[in-house]
Amino acid sequence: MIRGADVGLATCATCELVVNLGSDGAPPDAAQGEAQGGAQGEPWRPRALCPRCRTPVRIRKRNARTHAIALLVAAAALYFPANALTMMHTEQFPVARDDTILSGVVFLWERGSWELAVLVFAASIVVPLLKIGSLGFLIVTTARHSAWRPRARTKLYRVLEVIGHWSMLDVFVVALLTAVVQLGRFASVAPGPAVLPFAGVVVLTMLASASFDPRAIWDRGLSRGLSRGLSRGLRGGLRE
Amino acid sequence: MSDPRFEDLPVPVVHHHKRGWPSAVWIVPIVAIVAAGALALRTYLRAGPTIQITFENAEGLEAGKSDVRYRNVPVGKIDRIELTADQREIIVTVKLNHGAASLAAKDSRFWVERPRIGVGGVSGFGTLLSGAYIGVDRGSDKDTSDRFTGLEKPPGVTHDQIGRRFRIDAVDAGSLAVRSPVYLLRQQVGAISDLELAEDGKHVYIEIFIDSPYDRAVTDTAVFWNTSGLDVSLDATGLHVDTQSLATVVAGGIAFGFRDGDPPGKPAVENAHFKLFEDRAHAMARPDATRLPLALRFHQTVRGVSAGTAVDFEGVRIGQVDAVKLGYESTRHEFFSDIDATVYPERLGAAYAGLVEEGQRTGKTGLQMLQALVARGLRAQLRSGNLLTGQFYIGLGWFPGERGKDAVAERDGVWVVPTERGGTDQIQDQVESIVAKIDKIPFEAIGGDVRDATHAATSLIGHLDRDVVPSAQQLVGQAGAAMLALRESLTALRDNVAAPDSAIQQTTRATLEQLENAARSLRGLADYLQHHPESILRGRDAGSEPKGHP
Repeated sequence: MIRGADVGLATCATCELVVNLGSDGAPPDAAQGEAQGGAQGEPWRPRALCPRCRTPVRIRKRNARTHAIALLVAAAALYFPANALTMMHTEQFPVARDDTILSGVVFLWERGSWELAVLVFAASIVVPLLKIGSLGFLIVTTARHSAWRPRARTKLYRVLEVIGHWSMLDVFVVALLTAVVQLGRFASVAPGPAVLPFAGVVVLTMLASASFDPRAIWDRGLSRGLSRGLSRGLRGGLRE
Repeated sequence: MSDPRFEDLPVPVVHHHKRGWPSAVWIVPIVAIVAAGALALRTYLRAGPTIQITFENAEGLEAGKSDVRYRNVPVGKIDRIELTADQREIIVTVKLNHGAASLAAKDSRFWVERPRIGVGGVSGFGTLLSGAYIGVDRGSDKDTSDRFTGLEKPPGVTHDQIGRRFRIDAVDAGSLAVRSPVYLLRQQVGAISDLELAEDGKHVYIEIFIDSPYDRAVTDTAVFWNTSGLDVSLDATGLHVDTQSLATVVAGGIAFGFRDGDPPGKPAVENAHFKLFEDRAHAMARPDATRLPLALRFHQTVRGVSAGTAVDFEGVRIGQVDAVKLGYESTRHEFFSDIDATVYPERLGAAYAGLVEEGQRTGKTGLQMLQALVARGLRAQLRSGNLLTGQFYIGLGWFPGERGKDAVAERDGVWVVPTERGGTDQIQDQVESIVAKIDKIPFEAIGGDVRDATHAATSLIGHLDRDVVPSAQQLVGQAGAAMLALRESLTALRDNVAAPDSAIQQTTRATLEQLENAARSLRGLADYLQHHPESILRGRDAGSEPKGHP
């Protein structure tokens, strides 16, 4: 099976134009650019742009793993305040309560609404955790060029992309209740400080999974150096 | 379609790009970590101290739900509720809010606020809906503590109340309780803050707290009395119902005031001691320095006399009955009643002062003074104070008839004042004798006589009707005829006498004329004789005719 990367072909991500990056993956004047950069002592790196739409063309997403790792770390950092802090402040006369996500789940469970409890638990606690964990797993395996069940890992990635949209459930619930339940002193709902970190977790995990390049799953057999070069979009990296 | 040749594909433009900097994407995790750290730090900083409070039970408290409230503002939450190691109490772990750290002052007090129906009304009503919470009374100590012993009841007075505390010694606390109100002129000015049994078990120490500015009204001349419940008293002056407010009927309370005529006094110092009088009347009565115990023996029923019955002298209540005892005299086989009474002679006012002065002047002892009074007829008597209620009082009064008969005896150091059978007793006796006399009247025989007399009268009237009336009618007819005859006679008489040409008239007139002439002659003679008295002896002078009317 031949890959575009093997023969120096890449697709423009915007206009889908297939671009020949050269047999070695480098644009024809890459060497010149490299030389210029070197001559001036400036660390210029040649970059391929789509000749049609001027979008940078790469064989693999640029800095995919770095981005994914960074965003994932950010998401993981926000996961703690998102769960530890108050998600929702409810005043239902005369009782006022502050609920974290977990205490809300417990409350729903104790009230007998176990379906809702399971739903909220899954969407708000399990899913973000699974996303962070499985994305981390994918990043680690691709970094190690693991050959372990690439199809299954690809499927995992697709599932991540799909369920990621549902993780905002809690934020939606709080936003909706805050808007609807404002009955003066009898009942009112206000968002707690955990809402922003929680939204941050969801957004960051979505960005992380978007920045991850699933094609890297299949890049087994390539040497570490080649893979790095691919991720930078240039075969020129090989020459370093 | 021919195979596209790679060489035919377009070649990208080369763009030279600065390198060497770490990817900008790392800003995202840095920002996230900083944000998470800031949130954690803020949460940590906002968390106040954690304290532990022991309570006897955790009724109504729920970990994670129940609040700690200061002035009804939530200032913390119960984190955990556990049993102590010996399982006698519970330990409530409370997380106070950041701003509420000062509530953990060493002398702060904590209690569980539950719905309470008690003194001064219903409290903690809101907790019926919200569930119990822990109330805090913030202490003034600068040192903080993390272990507290919770109160089982809300404290009567909180630290932030301005006012003063006073101690009141009571013999009987009645229905008083912590938070019972304290009244001045029927306005609540404070409350009982503590109630404690004295060590000897005979007194109750009551600590009251009077709110500022009324605390200045508590002067050293103030008198306190118990207003608990409804003070219903039935005495010789009638039925009295006295209460401060409806609340005291249920909750009890203390009132204070001033005796008439007492100087206003200086504001009492904090924790000054006062005595609690059992009621207003006792409080308002002047302290009776001189107590004079008296014994009275009555040979009559003393129904209506009990401890507290007034002893009255000339309308002045000078004391009261302490006890009523029934005795038996074996020699005369008689029952009698001994009444112990206490008299406060100072209540006689100026009269007592006068007596004392007299005693000092004459050198007589009190007993001798009393002896003198008794010799002049002073006696104790049971008198009815109120015919409706049947209440009696003991009156000391004068009985001139008893003058010099009895003397004051001294028995067990108590003076025994001779008594007189009560006015009511006498009335009773008289009424009894009247009733006995009425009893003796032979009403039946009288009734029979009356009946007989009536019969006789009836027959008499029948007889009169039958026999007398016809003859009477006849008599009346005759009388009419007689009257007619009489009238005729009178008419005839008038015609004979009164007519101008009647014979009687003519004759009468002639007679009168002759009488006139005779009188004239007599007058002439008299005149002559007056002028010529000698003519009686010598006869008549020819030239001197008697002058007279012709």
